[in-house]
Amino acid sequence: MKGKNCVAIACDLRFGVQAQTISTDFKRVFELGPHLYIGLPGLATDTQTVLQRLQFRIKMYEMREGRRLKPHTLMAMMQNLLYERRFGPYFVEPVIAGLDPNTKEPYICALDLIGCACEPADFVVSGTCSESLYGMCETTWQEDMEPEDLFECISQSLVNAFDRDALSGWGAVVHIIEQDKVTTRTLKCRQD
Amino acid sequence: MALESLHGVERYQHKWNEVQEEAALPEIGNFTNQYQLMMPPLPKAECQVGEYLVDETGRKMKLNYAHGTTTLGFKFKGGAVLAVDSRATSGQYIGSGNVRKIIEISPYLLGTMAGGAADCTYWNRVLAKQCRIYELRNRERISVAAASKLLANMVYQYKGYGLSMGVMVAGWDKKGAGLYYVDSDGNRMPGNVFSVGSGSLYAYGVLDSGYRWDMTDEEAYELGRRAIYHATHRDAYSGGIVRVYHIKEGGWVRISEQDSKDLHYAYAEGKTTTQ
Repeated sequence: MKGKNCVAIACDLRFGVQAQTISTDFKRVFELGPHLYIGLPGLATDTQTVLQRLQFRIKMYEMREGRRLKPHTLMAMMQNLLYERRFGPYFVEPVIAGLDPNTKEPYICALDLIGCACEPADFVVSGTCSESLYGMCETTWQEDMEPEDLFECISQSLVNAFDRDALSGWGAVVHIIEQDKVTTRTLKCRQD
Repeated sequence: MALESLHGVERYQHKWNEVQEEAALPEIGNFTNQYQLMMPPLPKAECQVGEYLVDETGRKMKLNYAHGTTTLGFKFKGGAVLAVDSRATSGQYIGSGNVRKIIEISPYLLGTMAGGAADCTYWNRVLAKQCRIYELRNRERISVAAASKLLANMVYQYKGYGLSMGVMVAGWDKKGAGLYYVDSDGNRMPGNVFSVGSGSLYAYGVLDSGYRWDMTDEEAYELGRRAIYHATHRDAYSGGIVRVYHIKEGGWVRISEQDSKDLHYAYAEGKTTTQ
């Protein structure tokens, strides 16, 4: 979600195979830079593989260019990475949240599994309960929220949405990315 | 009679005729005869409700009729304990987190719900009616064996039509506590320990390792509660509130109804929960 000079990104912590929950500490939001986070919900093995390939490409970019990656550039990189596998895709639908390294402008975007990106002005959602998430975000999001309000908003949206989904939940992690710091909080949620 | 016409009692006779006519309509046949359900003009194999539903993309929706729940029941020296969760799912959508999966058939008979919620509630209510009629006709309480037999025979008539029920009938009769498992395939079996539903595997693990015949009442409640809690934690289709009931000589008693979220954090701190 976008806020006033800040962005927030959150994920649940369940790792399961259909009905069985195997682990309750599987994070799917990763830090790629000081103010750049990506969420990779979907097939767990593809979450790990896409992350590793992406980190390789980012390191090569930063080495060649000698500068930090911009969120918009990360989106372009993801698009290429995913479209490369157009006919045997990675089953992840990434979500990017970050601040531009120079202008500190908030940025969010979401991509589908073969690399179509969209950059809305308010919020992006992805996952098994995306419909519920859209409903929750639509009602609670307001423009230009301060970091504390943004934290409340994204936490409530996520938790109430995945409480209506049997396959998501079992804990949540929320990152609030501001100009000078990133705050990470783990939420105490229903464990059923 | 003159007094009737003076007081306008005839009106009621007309009303009663209307009620009779209405009851004879096939559309509400099961109002008077609960066994008479309307059949669609299709062969038996196609009467599966779960097969017709599609979601907004046209994909066939998998209705989790495969008993997405966890219920358990066991007998011990102090009677019988039933414990259930309270989540109802259709596919992966959680329809409700607050369903009453223990159906109170009579003050000394309980039935659990697993599988199709509508199927379980309807046939358990028909069973309640039949038990009451038995009691009135024979002037004694129905035995658990007879009650479970009635239910099994009811659903056997619809075998193959797609009913989905995995019910435990538990109660107190002359032989003490009784526990029977009845399902829509026609199974009916007595036993000491049962668990039904998608989370039953997790519940069995806890139940079988802690079960002894000579437990105290408190130990039995805690065993049932723990088993359901562990199933709600691991199984995606079980969750919500953990309800525990005890069946003893005077009938059934509701012991506790605790949210599995509270149970999780209490167990995590290493304390056992009390009511």
